[in-house]
Amino acid sequence: MMPGQFMLGKLDDVARWAQSSSVWPLTMGLACCAIEMMSVTNSTYDIARFGSEVFRASPRQADLMIVSGRVAQKMAPIIKRLYDQMADPKWVISMGACASSGGVFDNYAIVQGVDTVVPVDVYVPGCPPTPDGLLYALNLIQQQIRQGGRGGILAKA
Amino acid sequence: MPSSQVPSIAGTALDPTALRPAIADAEILRVGPGELRAKLIELRAAGCSMLLDIGGVDYLERDPRFDVVYHLLALPVKPAGVAEVGVPRRVRVLAGVPGDAPALPSIHDLWPNADWAEREIYDLFGIVFEGHPDLRRIQMPYEWEGHPLRKDYPLRGPAREATPRPAFALKSNVPAGAPPGGKVAAALQKQIARARGQVVSTPEEKKP
Repeated sequence: MMPGQFMLGKLDDVARWAQSSSVWPLTMGLACCAIEMMSVTNSTYDIARFGSEVFRASPRQADLMIVSGRVAQKMAPIIKRLYDQMADPKWVISMGACASSGGVFDNYAIVQGVDTVVPVDVYVPGCPPTPDGLLYALNLIQQQIRQGGRGGILAKA
Repeated sequence: MPSSQVPSIAGTALDPTALRPAIADAEILRVGPGELRAKLIELRAAGCSMLLDIGGVDYLERDPRFDVVYHLLALPVKPAGVAEVGVPRRVRVLAGVPGDAPALPSIHDLWPNADWAEREIYDLFGIVFEGHPDLRRIQMPYEWEGHPLRKDYPLRGPAREATPRPAFALKSNVPAGAPPGGKVAAALQKQIARARGQVVSTPEEKKP
């Protein structure tokens, strides 16, 4: 904008625009999908275009949990705890077949879908999903935020 | 095509040393649970300074049911010259463990890395290592019931074993009800079914 110009908007819209442009994911890689999750941060895909390049190492500072891989029975309570430690509003992407449904691991050790543990906002199909797929999931989250969505449990309440 | 050179099913499935009596780079010893510790102490004194791994095998119907395999390595003591390469000595010690109340003496005091390896065997096979200082589960959650690598443990877990699998998982190029390919595979399937208490009928047993 040139100096002297200005725009008018509702405070809600401005706040949502800011919020949707700074969705910070939690640093949490569970399996091979995490490799694709890492590759969205590189210069080819560049998740920084959407303001989400800041992977936070603490759930207290993260808005988005990307469940990137199969969830072992032993990992499930830890994921639940991390989700509970994230500040509201918060979003969850279930990345890949394993996180969404157990995938090929139809066995005793793997949780059959992370939505039995935490509420999921966007599922990304694929084994593993392409980085474009994950970016599109992030775009859907941003769209939800701009439309006033609060994510997860709050969205249903 | 049946061939006399094919080892018998009992030989292949139940005693690996019968199938592979000599492996080029490793000696294979079989000891009873009683003399295991003495043998391992002896091997350690003879230069097997490194315990590479401890493995467990469940043969389900064999007596003794389990094998616990100790992989030992003796690094060459003599420094190798410029032209030669020191050859390490590898020893594999097999100890049979009975199926009811399976137990072996712990060797955590001989090789400290046996601590976690024994916890892993305990976790997945339920073999108790007597004298182990901290015999807890290491892979599965502490409150887990059962030992998943046992052959009679249901693959999908006890809770979900009875629930039907999703339809897409049943699609296969093998017609439903077809026996698994190969005589060895069929015999193994039969053994597992018998051990689980399921009734199996084969063409041989259907004689009038």
